Amino acid sequence: MANSKAVVRAGISSQIKSNFISYLFMLPILVFFLGFVILPMVMGVFTSFTNSNMGGSEFVGFSNYIQLFQDKNFLKSSVNTIIIVIVSVPTVAFFSLWVGSAIYKLKPAICSFFRCVFYLPVVTGSVAVVVVWKWMFDVYNGLFNHGLNAIGVQSVNWLGDSKTALLCIILILFTTSIGQPIVLYVSALGNVDQSLVEAAEVDGATKLQTFWRIKYPAIMPTTLYVMVITTINSFQCFALIQLLTSGGPNYATSTVMYLLYETAFKRYQYGYADAMGVVLAIVIAIFSAIQFKVMNGGTAE
Amino acid sequence: MKKLVSIALAAMLLLSTFSGCSAETTTAQKTDPAPATKTETETKTTPDAATTPTAPETPSAQPVEISWWAFPTFGVNSGYEQEVIDAFAKVHPEITIKLTTLDFQAGPEALTSAIEAGTAPDVLFDAPGRIIEYGRNGKLIKLDDMFTADFTKDVNNEGVISACKADGTAYMYPLSIAPFYMGINKEAFEKADALQYVNLEGDRAWTTENFTKACEALAKAAATQVPGIVYCGGQGGDQGTRALVNNLNSSSIVNADGKWAIDEKGIKSLELLQKMVTDKSLDANTAYAAADELQAFQNGVAAMSFCWGTSNSITYKSDSFTQISVPFPSEDGTPSLEFLANGFCVFDNKDDAKAAAAKTFIQFICDDGIYGPQSVVKTGAFPVRESFGNLYPDDAEKGLLSSWTKYYGPYYNTSANFTAMRTEWWNMLQRVFQGGNVAAEVEIFNAQANQSVTPAK
Repeated sequence: MANSKAVVRAGISSQIKSNFISYLFMLPILVFFLGFVILPMVMGVFTSFTNSNMGGSEFVGFSNYIQLFQDKNFLKSSVNTIIIVIVSVPTVAFFSLWVGSAIYKLKPAICSFFRCVFYLPVVTGSVAVVVVWKWMFDVYNGLFNHGLNAIGVQSVNWLGDSKTALLCIILILFTTSIGQPIVLYVSALGNVDQSLVEAAEVDGATKLQTFWRIKYPAIMPTTLYVMVITTINSFQCFALIQLLTSGGPNYATSTVMYLLYETAFKRYQYGYADAMGVVLAIVIAIFSAIQFKVMNGGTAE
Repeated sequence: MKKLVSIALAAMLLLSTFSGCSAETTTAQKTDPAPATKTETETKTTPDAATTPTAPETPSAQPVEISWWAFPTFGVNSGYEQEVIDAFAKVHPEITIKLTTLDFQAGPEALTSAIEAGTAPDVLFDAPGRIIEYGRNGKLIKLDDMFTADFTKDVNNEGVISACKADGTAYMYPLSIAPFYMGINKEAFEKADALQYVNLEGDRAWTTENFTKACEALAKAAATQVPGIVYCGGQGGDQGTRALVNNLNSSSIVNADGKWAIDEKGIKSLELLQKMVTDKSLDANTAYAAADELQAFQNGVAAMSFCWGTSNSITYKSDSFTQISVPFPSEDGTPSLEFLANGFCVFDNKDDAKAAAAKTFIQFICDDGIYGPQSVVKTGAFPVRESFGNLYPDDAEKGLLSSWTKYYGPYYNTSANFTAMRTEWWNMLQRVFQGGNVAAEVEIFNAQANQSVTPAK
C-alpha cells in the first residue's frame, strides 16, 4: 500500500516536472489573457452594477439593467444588431461555401488568385475600406447614384435614408467577412477524404448528394467555426458604423456596440455602458451555444 | 541546460508581452475607429541665446516635470508647441514640459481613457466644451486665482469669461476666440445672380429674406449641385446648424431657466428650412457630417457652407473659386454668432507642485509679452485680451472677422447636459428632414435634451 502511494506520488511528480516547461511557455499568454481580457471583463461586470461616470461611482444594483430594457435607443440598437446577425451569418457562410466549392478544385495558381481577391478586403485597413465605400454611396457624386442616374433613376441617399442605411452596412460587412471563410473552406474541402467521394460517385451518387452526404459533414467543424466567428464579428460591428453613419440616421444603423461606445465616450456613463456590454456578451454566448448545439459541436456524422 | 534555455525563452516571451505598454503610438485594430495619433516629445531646458524671453527669471526652485496634451489648434505639425516650450524653458529652467499632441478624431477618447485610468495630463489645450465637462466632474484645478480684476477688465467680454466657468468656477484660462460663420462661393452666387442678395459692405450682415431669395436663385440656376447642405450627421460642427436655426428668426435654444428648449421662433426656422429642402432651394443630408459638408463646399458641390470658420477656411480652402465669409442671415440683420474659444486647463493630479508649475506655464503661453500674441496668431483666432490689440493689421479679412465680436451670442458648450443636447440635436434634425412634424420633433428634443443618458439611481 505504502509502495503504491509512493509510486503514484513519484508519477505525479514526474508529470509535473515534464509539464513545467510547457506551463512556463504558456505563462506569458496566460498573464496577457488574465490581465487584458479576464480582468477587464470582471471589472466591467462589477462596474455595470454602479452608476459610474466621470464624477464618481455608486452601487445601484440591477438598476442599469432594468433601465436598459426600457431604453428605446438600446432596444432599437438591439433589433439592428439582431438583423445584422441574422442576415450576415447565413449569407456569409453560404456564399463562402459556394465560392470555396467552386474554386478549391481549380489549378493552384488560379485558386490562389481568387483567394487573394476575396481576402483583400480583410487585410485592407477598415478606414480605407470605409472611405471608398462612403465615396461610392455618396448621394451627390457617388458611383452607385451615377449608375442609377444613367438609367434614369433618381439618386438615393444610401446612408442617409433609414430604409437603406442598414442594408449598406450589411453589404460592407459582407464584403469584409467572406475572405477568411473562403480560405478556410478551400482548405477544408481540400482535406476531404477523396476515397469516400470516389466511392460515392462509383455508387451513383449525384454531385449534390456527394456534397451533402460526404463533403458537408466532413467540413462541419469549419462551418461551425465560420458561423461562430461571423456571429461574433456581426455582433461587434462598430468601425463601419462609427466611420460611416455614426449610428444614424436617428439610430437606424446603431448597434449595441456603437451605442455602448456613444454612452461611454460621449456621455461618460461608464456603468450604463458596461451593462450594455454584459448583456451583449451574454447574448453572444447564448447564440454561440445554440450554434454549437445545433451543429453537434462540429462533429461529422 | 535545456531547462535554462527554456526558462530564458519563456522570460523573453513574458517581457515581450509587456513591451507594447511603452509604445509611443497607438495602432488601430480591425474593429477600431481611426487611431489616436499621439506623439510624445520630452523636452529638457536648454538655454538658447537667440530668443529673448520677456518674463523675469524666477528664483531657483525644485525641479518639476509636467505633461502637456495639445489638440492641433496651433496647426497640425506646426512645431509651435515645441517653440513655446523652449522659450518657457529659458525663463523657468526648473520646469520640464512633456508634450503629447492629439488629433480631434480619436483624441477625446484618449483623454477620457487617460482620465479614468488616472493618467491624465497636467495641462490640456482645448476648448471649453470638454474642459468645462471635466471641471464639473471634479477633474480640474480651479483657476479663479488667474482671473484677476486686471485680466477680466482686459478681456472685457462677459460671454468669454462665462465660457471659461462652470457654476461660477473658472476652469479654463482663455487664449483666443473666433466666430463661427458661413462661407459662400462667390462665382456660384454670381452665376445665379444671387450675389445681389448678399451684403458685401461693412460687416456683411444680411437678412433671412435675402438668404431665402439667394437659395432660390441658386437652385433655379443650378450653379452648383445643391445651394447648400444642412448636415445632420452626428459628429462635430453642430454650432453651424444651431446658429443657422437660431438666426433665421432670432430664436433661442435655451429658455429663461437655462434649460435646453427650442422656442416657437425656432420651430418657425426649422419649418422654413424644411420647406426650403422640399422646394429644393436647400438640401439636407442626414448622412453628412460637418466635414462632409465642408468638403462638398470646397469641391463646388454646394454653394455655401454653414460650418465656416478661421481654421476651416484654411483647411478647406479652394483654389477654383472665391470663398467669401458672411455672418449667418438673421431676421433683423443683426446676427448672433456662436464662437470658439481656445484655452488651457489644469488637471488635478493631486500634486500641488505640478499644479503650480502648470499654471505658470499657462500664464506664459497666454500672457507673455512676446509669446502671448504669437500664440494667438498661431491659432488663427483673435486675442481675448484687448491689450493685445489688432494682431493682423494688414489683413482685411481678419479685420472683418474681428469686428463680429460684437455679435457674439451665448456660449452653449459649457451649459449643463450639452453633450446630451448635442446628440439629441442631430437626432431632431434627422427626424425633421426625414419629413417629421417639426413641432412634435422639437417637443421630443426639448424633453430629451435635458436628460443625461439614464444614470441609474
